[in-house]
Amino acid sequence: MTDLPGGAMANRPVHFIWLLDTSYSMLGEKIGQLNYAIREAIPEMQAVARDNPAAQLLLRTITFSTTARWHHKDPVEVDAFTWQDVAPDGTTNLGEALHLVAGELQTPPMPERALKPVIALVSDGAPTDDWRAGLRAIEATPWGRKAVRVAIAIGSDADRGVLQEFLANPELRPLDANSPKQLAAAIRWASTAAVKAASQPVAGGNGPGDGPTKPAAPYAPPVLGTDDDDVW
Amino acid sequence: MSALPHWEVLHTSVIGYGKKLNQDWGQIEGTGSAQDPLVLAVADGHGSVAYPRSDLGARFAVDLFVARGREFGALIRPGRLRRLRDYARYELPEQLVRDWQTMVWEHWSRQPGPEGADAPREDVLRLYGSTLIGAVLAPGLFVSWQLGDGELTVVDEDGRVRLPLAPERAELGDETASLCIRKAWHLIRVHWEPLPEPERGPRLVALSTDGLSKSFASDEGFTAFTAGLYERLADRGVPGIAEDVPRWLEKASRHSGDDTTLALAHRAEGEDGTPGPDPRTAWATAPEPAPPWDAGTDPEPAPAPTGSCDGTTNDDEETERP
Repeated sequence: MTDLPGGAMANRPVHFIWLLDTSYSMLGEKIGQLNYAIREAIPEMQAVARDNPAAQLLLRTITFSTTARWHHKDPVEVDAFTWQDVAPDGTTNLGEALHLVAGELQTPPMPERALKPVIALVSDGAPTDDWRAGLRAIEATPWGRKAVRVAIAIGSDADRGVLQEFLANPELRPLDANSPKQLAAAIRWASTAAVKAASQPVAGGNGPGDGPTKPAAPYAPPVLGTDDDDVW
Repeated sequence: MSALPHWEVLHTSVIGYGKKLNQDWGQIEGTGSAQDPLVLAVADGHGSVAYPRSDLGARFAVDLFVARGREFGALIRPGRLRRLRDYARYELPEQLVRDWQTMVWEHWSRQPGPEGADAPREDVLRLYGSTLIGAVLAPGLFVSWQLGDGELTVVDEDGRVRLPLAPERAELGDETASLCIRKAWHLIRVHWEPLPEPERGPRLVALSTDGLSKSFASDEGFTAFTAGLYERLADRGVPGIAEDVPRWLEKASRHSGDDTTLALAHRAEGEDGTPGPDPRTAWATAPEPAPPWDAGTDPEPAPAPTGSCDGTTNDDEETERP
């Protein structure tokens, strides 16, 4: 066999960004369960990555309360990803967090050669800043418009209208997590289904055709059971 | 008088790493003569659970293109190229898309899935979604069409690699135009390249699904692949690389994760040493089918006596993008 001609080969990155609400309303059991659920989901994300060897799964985390800040600023390969607990403190500045994401979805720093990024938003309340400006900033980036978005609403106080607008797809719904068990299931689903969706081709494309066919929604959230005693 | 090119061809497809079904399809037919134009086609069914019949969609696309491409090649005549160019740009793309969608619908009607025979047409088309790249090489003319991702790569006599159908900006994140889009013909890119001097025509024409290009870390890496492929073909011809290509594609599929298909035509130098007929002679002896357009639009003004086959020059080369 002769050598393969051409340049180096490489798999393509999937940038996965957790956007976690760490406002005061998360205090107590919610934040504890969120930390637990994400830690427990890491092995499943690693398994998904092993099943998709063509995708290089890279994780980052932003927390938002009175300010938005990076919990993991540099992309971490899923096999090297470890979870440090987050703690609640303040208001719900989602807009600031969305601006942080938008900055990372510019090209550069995002490469053009990549699979779709995943943005996973988890929140239990209503934003206290101009979150729509942050959403517009994401929509203004090419990768932001393409991103696979998932949203998890924790408890009855979560503003589902905000999460629905974040999803920007009338066929998708936020996933309700009204109990510790549901939150664990929702995090597990977001961690895995969204990554699979990001690495699958989609018929669509830009141009003057008559628009894409009705989009498939392979990452539509599951319906979670409510057989939990402890309901938020 | 110039010898018509002698084309040697190769078509290989490998299943994506870890996949159970190859949803690509490809085919090559013909020799490149006026009587027997060379037609190449590859198609990439979208795969995944959202497109469960896309392997069939890819096959339908290739079968249709090969049939239409051969009909198109038989229409090539001096004095008709202007009308033929319009046909290639506007009518043939629409015909291909409409025929593919009809073929899919008929297949669904015969073998409906769980959604039932009366499922919405738009939803049914999506199940079979596929891209398509096709090319026709005939004496004096090279024309190609592309819908969606993948690459059509050409190597010229000076070794230059070009991608005449490359979009001005590639889609991000594995989104692609598709035959399942209702008016997909508006998204088809068309490259029209008269070849008045056969000795200056393309040396290599390669069609590949995106599983190949996306395996490289950069666009330059893919261009280098094509240049290296051509060098090896120039040294050893198709028989000299036929066993290597499947291994190369398997390696590519491990990085792209996708089915990977390559269909190529390489102009073999020196093997057909006796000067053949130039295109005018070739066309003069080929049977002439009736054109699929209103005959009132034929003929065009007689071409200028420039020494080229029909009065066109390489300056007429152009690519039509949506």
